[in-house]
Amino acid sequence: MRYSIVRTILFKELRETLRDRRTLLMTVGLPVLLYPLVILAFTRIAESGEDAIAADKSVVAVWGALPAPVAAALADSKDLTLQPWGEAPEDLRAGLPSGRYSRRDATERAAPLLGRGRGTGPREVEPENAVLLAARAAVASRRVQSVIVAWPDTVQEYERGDAAPLSVYYDSVRRESAVAHERVSAALDDARQRIVVERQRARDLPNGFAQGLDVRTRNTSTAERRSGQLLGSILPYILLTLSVLGGMYAAIDLTAGEKERGTMQTLLCAPITSAEIVLAKFLTVWLLSLLSLVANLASLSMTVSRLLPADLPGVGVTNLVLALAVLLPVTLTTSALFLACASFARDFRDGQTMLTPVYMAVALPAGVVGLPTIELNAWTAFVPIVNVTLLVKALFLREASSELIFLTLLSACLYAAVAMAGAVHVFHRETVLVGEKTSLRTVFERDGVRGGTPNVGFALTAFAVLLVVQFYGGLSLRTLSIPWLLVTLQYGGFLLPTLGMVALFAFDWRKTLALRRPPVVAVAMAVLLGLTAWMFAGGVVGRLLPPPESLTRAMERFIQLGDAPMPLWVVWFVLGVTPGICEELFFRGLVFSGLRRLGAGPAVVASALLFALAHASIYRLMPTFILGLVLGTLRWRSGSVLPGMVMHALNNGLIGTLAQRPALAYWFGMQGASGALPIGPVLVGTVVMLMALGVLTRLTSPADDGPGDGASRSRG
Amino acid sequence: MPAATGGLEATALGKRFAAVTAVDDVSLVVRPGEIVGLLGPNGAGKTTTLRMLAGILSPDRGRVVIDGLDVHVDPIAAKRRLGFLSGDTQLYQRLSPREMLRYFAQLYELEPAQADRRIATLIAELDIGSFADRPCGTLSSGQKQRANLARAFLHEPQLLILDEPTNALDVVSGQFIVQAIRRARDAGRAVLLSTHIMGEAEYLCDRISLIHRGRIVDSGPLETLLQRSGQGNLTDAFLHYAGADAGAA
Repeated sequence: MRYSIVRTILFKELRETLRDRRTLLMTVGLPVLLYPLVILAFTRIAESGEDAIAADKSVVAVWGALPAPVAAALADSKDLTLQPWGEAPEDLRAGLPSGRYSRRDATERAAPLLGRGRGTGPREVEPENAVLLAARAAVASRRVQSVIVAWPDTVQEYERGDAAPLSVYYDSVRRESAVAHERVSAALDDARQRIVVERQRARDLPNGFAQGLDVRTRNTSTAERRSGQLLGSILPYILLTLSVLGGMYAAIDLTAGEKERGTMQTLLCAPITSAEIVLAKFLTVWLLSLLSLVANLASLSMTVSRLLPADLPGVGVTNLVLALAVLLPVTLTTSALFLACASFARDFRDGQTMLTPVYMAVALPAGVVGLPTIELNAWTAFVPIVNVTLLVKALFLREASSELIFLTLLSACLYAAVAMAGAVHVFHRETVLVGEKTSLRTVFERDGVRGGTPNVGFALTAFAVLLVVQFYGGLSLRTLSIPWLLVTLQYGGFLLPTLGMVALFAFDWRKTLALRRPPVVAVAMAVLLGLTAWMFAGGVVGRLLPPPESLTRAMERFIQLGDAPMPLWVVWFVLGVTPGICEELFFRGLVFSGLRRLGAGPAVVASALLFALAHASIYRLMPTFILGLVLGTLRWRSGSVLPGMVMHALNNGLIGTLAQRPALAYWFGMQGASGALPIGPVLVGTVVMLMALGVLTRLTSPADDGPGDGASRSRG
Repeated sequence: MPAATGGLEATALGKRFAAVTAVDDVSLVVRPGEIVGLLGPNGAGKTTTLRMLAGILSPDRGRVVIDGLDVHVDPIAAKRRLGFLSGDTQLYQRLSPREMLRYFAQLYELEPAQADRRIATLIAELDIGSFADRPCGTLSSGQKQRANLARAFLHEPQLLILDEPTNALDVVSGQFIVQAIRRARDAGRAVLLSTHIMGEAEYLCDRISLIHRGRIVDSGPLETLLQRSGQGNLTDAFLHYAGADAGAA
């Protein structure tokens, strides 16, 4: 072995490798910059969650009468807010003092924890009973974080000088409940010490010869929930990162690999379109991601149960199926994202270097699922990737509400649609496909012809962006009154961005926003539809798919614009005219003209679906979808956005008027604004609506209102 | 002069990449039963021109018509009439030539029976039988290029665009490809050939277009080019037009 030769080759290899800036970035840049940043971000997120919990007082329900020193110790604690009989069911309020529920029944197999066993962790100390079930429901309501139960004999035992029995209920899976438990335990420990010291002094007993409290702790979370917590903190992250990895290598092979092998050019000479190529390649990458996901799920489900404590159940089949269903949109997103990014690489190695940061950007945020203070809520439901991992965790914990599932899947599908639109856009860049050296910047070039209309990808991206803006805008502006909130979101979240996009991308104003003079018949039909559509939507759909009472109440308050009565002109301006203008210009203007390239019928259906999804509630999906279909038909047949504005304003204004003027609702035979409409008006409204739609379908849409008519912006 | 049915007509093609003009005002006509050579030094714009003619790249200016169909208006129909072969085009490493031909037969939407017959004919004509079922990754350069030629001839196109088809082949394999090109011309196909091998161009081409810095600098039968350049052979004529650039190449 000649070491001088080895050294020469070594130095040459190092010199060449280190001259590659990407390799240098991946080898040195990532560890130096990325990991500290990620760790810092995670720590800050975790700390801010803990800080928020620490800053809030724990709300603790007290069921039953407490001995005076115990009540005083709890009241003295600065971290606790006591709620006598908080969240207690009526039955328990009556039954507990009367002795119907005794500690004997509840703790037949009990073993005292506090005092002797504190800190030993949750143990099964109490069989299922009415008190436990009530405490579990109370903690699950999230209005209280812990429950202290004083039994019928608690005060008696205390007065007799014996250990006064108390039970503390909490949910170890919820961080704020665990914190409440720690605070309650500290306060009760303090009370016990005081009682013991007082008794020893009063009876002149040595240390250890007096009892204070017999406090027993019960973790209300079930074994399934505890198992869900353990699995939910790890499994979603592992599943996501590994299944995504399966698609990543396929994406590189199908794009950069094919360019490297020189077969892409051959494919492009065949009589096929780039859209066909991208769809086939996307499906390949997606199927491989799916295969990887299924393999990961199956393997993990078999092995992970061995890691769990013996008393906890493993991953159920239902959980596996749900996790698979929830992760599907993410694999769609990552497949499209990887395919689009990898197509810029010229060879396989280039592709790996390009996709590694993309992979990290996808995988690292998913790690927040392991933080106990981060959970799925209205805010996190729209954060890409993170939302889905949190949803899987919530499903494992059995605490995902249908609204949050809907919001999460909605946003996940939206991001998938945007990623796919991006992939198609990239594949239309022929220089990317044939392997010319192309900068990522070319993707953002606006090289279309002035005066065109948007394409499908643009419409979907605009919708996704505006929906996210609307959603977070709505959450941020919650302190505003309802009328101001609505007006701000409509003009700031729909109208201004719509006009801004048309101006920025130099689209044709008239064609994109359908600013044509409509036929008089179309306006007349719009008036009829505006007067009757709410009868159909409310009367038929409301009967078939009745929303839950909580939503009905929230909607009632919403359309009443708050608790105070409003002048009718405010109602018509805020609920009628404003959405009529802002939402119509966006949905039946910009979005519809983009979707028009799919054909008129698909554009009506797709724009109605997006319109329904924008209302961000699963229970409002069907009525708003039907309203969207009617508005889309108006836009299509009239070639103008104006009749839709008239109908939308009338429809919303009438609903608002009914909410403000209950007498009018009673005149229609309704019990209040949200009451069911009698069948008579429903039938009349439906017939008139169908007749108006029939007249509309006989109209001929304008000749210049075709798909991508005139100069189109791109070939999307 | 317009191309007859089955031929190629390109008019005033232009293409820029950022600040670089790759092709400028290039016009070409290739008629059925004719081989036209496109010669030029490296970086002259040959590959960009051929890619525009094959519908892989869109020209910034000008139009390409194959058998009466505009490649960029009706690309699907136009590409059905076109066979493209490049010297650096590789095959799918894990497919055999037979599987690859079946795949392309499906892309060209040939009837299965017709595809089977055509594949069998090409395997016999191009002497592919001995390696038709071996993975392409295990084939020699000459075998790969024969399989590639079969792929380009598969759908019996009226027009063949061949970009340095004998590149990196040995004499025997190169000669096999040259003869196959001659047979295609004799069968009435229009052939556009780009090559760096002057002897190959002299032997095969009925007309030659010389491209330099993105523009056609001269065009015509070999004799006319030699006469106009005042040179005795094609290599000298080529150097006469391309000058120092060709030397650098």
